[in-house]
Amino acid sequence: MTKRNKKWWLPWVMILPVILVRGLTTLYPVIMTFINSFRDMDVIRGGQGGFIGLQNYIRMLSDDKIATSMEFTIIFTVVSMAFHIILGICLALILNMKFKGKKFLRTIVLIPWAMPMIVAGRAARWGFNGQYGFINDLIGKFIDNFHFDWLVNVDTARIAVILVDLWKDIPYFAILVLAALQYIPGDIYEAAKIDGASSIKAFFSITLPNIMKTVMSISIFFTMWRVTNFELVYAMTSGGPYDGTSVLSYRILIEAFNNLNLGYASAIAVVLFLIMLILSGLNVAGMKKFSD
Amino acid sequence: MNTTKKRTFKIFQWLITIVIALIILIPIYWIFISSIKPNEDLFAVPIEWIPRHFTLKSYVTLIEQVGIVPQIINTLIITIPTLIISTFICVLAAYAFERFATKKLTFAYGIIVFSALIPAIVTARPLYDFFKKLSLVDTYPGLILLYISALVPFSVLIIRNYLSGIPTEIEEAAEIDGAGFFQKIFYVIIPLLKPAIATICIINFINCLNEFFIPLFFSQKIKVLTIGISTLPRANAYDVPWDLLSAMGCIILIPIIVFVMIFEEKIMDGIMAGGVKS
Repeated sequence: MTKRNKKWWLPWVMILPVILVRGLTTLYPVIMTFINSFRDMDVIRGGQGGFIGLQNYIRMLSDDKIATSMEFTIIFTVVSMAFHIILGICLALILNMKFKGKKFLRTIVLIPWAMPMIVAGRAARWGFNGQYGFINDLIGKFIDNFHFDWLVNVDTARIAVILVDLWKDIPYFAILVLAALQYIPGDIYEAAKIDGASSIKAFFSITLPNIMKTVMSISIFFTMWRVTNFELVYAMTSGGPYDGTSVLSYRILIEAFNNLNLGYASAIAVVLFLIMLILSGLNVAGMKKFSD
Repeated sequence: MNTTKKRTFKIFQWLITIVIALIILIPIYWIFISSIKPNEDLFAVPIEWIPRHFTLKSYVTLIEQVGIVPQIINTLIITIPTLIISTFICVLAAYAFERFATKKLTFAYGIIVFSALIPAIVTARPLYDFFKKLSLVDTYPGLILLYISALVPFSVLIIRNYLSGIPTEIEEAAEIDGAGFFQKIFYVIIPLLKPAIATICIINFINCLNEFFIPLFFSQKIKVLTIGISTLPRANAYDVPWDLLSAMGCIILIPIIVFVMIFEEKIMDGIMAGGVKS
């Protein structure tokens, strides 16, 4: 028997703490959420925890609030991701430029990433205030007597939430794209230049294909974070006005902790989880197709 | 490129740098000036972008009435053990995953990393009930356990990637010299991993400071800074206690900005290392 065989248990002992911690705090509760989604746990209406089949799921179909939440979650994710990809790639290209301001720019760009979402969200709540916020103040410098109550109208509150999300997270996206940019060898560009390709053409024929795989794989994570985003809405709009910005995860929070209907909250959570699984499946399939 | 073209490009580079810097810094500058304005000026319309009067009243209120000092201490009591323990267990696990890479271990690794995609909101309520049974809600050990758990997938991924670049010959040499297994880990592997450990500690430190979800659900009495800022008392009739909020924002932001300035390169490397290989 070799030395390694005698110690087959050694790696398992080494990973035990990590497995225990993750198992206890994520895998076990996920299973519980799944089970709870089939039970009647509506404490306020006297639910005893008995199994009620798919009733929690059926209720979702006729719940207007779920429809609103679903609508905004989709809008938020799609719009935010589109801008993340376009502006993120642009910012990454700028960060990749060699010039004296590089270090300064890179430091500045890290600040939104490093600050707590709750600080950004709370500040934005005041920043978008119609009377005292700095957003209207700045616009007022260009347009006389400008006044607009951003967070009072559903549509503009949604725009404001997306803007803050972009401000906070595009830099992070860009840094990840930058990593891929740095892997492109410089001599490809030299060769293209000799062949007479313009820089715009070089971007589409060299840069973009080279970073596309990274962009797609980080987009999986960024899409997930958008779908499950909750802090920003919690901090900035508390889901309002008229539930217009209450994303699905915010709705889960309200059902589980305010309305004390754990079964129903679990059903929404399971749906959210399934949406994520489908999305990541689609994304992975897309990437496979892309790399072939 | 000819010189005029070069110069135009240079001007363009600086112009765009300034625009980006303004977009990022104006809101932060606005938070800062708000925190040192007396109340009369705070609600002046239009905004005084160069404040005429200064006061530290909001900061004094935060210390004397809101109790920001215990919040800072709580944040550190949770963050420091979290960083130490999570780094230690993640180095052990990453080593096992990388060096023993059997099929079953790789599967376990996949589950650990994949579990990062499970949103906290999906697990929150059952986890809360479970923690209640163990009387871990609102305790330091309970919070530290949850903070550690949040850091595990990313840390294991980064350390494992870094380890894969370290040749096994170095370890074999140590074995020949008669080093035992754990001696080898402590005296050979951990020193070699220093750059990776520094990077994840810096990034995880920021993540711990930013953590909001865990303390929101799993503690009531133990308040950390992020909870403190979201539960500030309203000193005036407005929707947001902007005087206190801006001051507290600054207290949180200033160390973060200084930290980012010092460790810019390390943080960049860490973020990029996590991205490329995931």
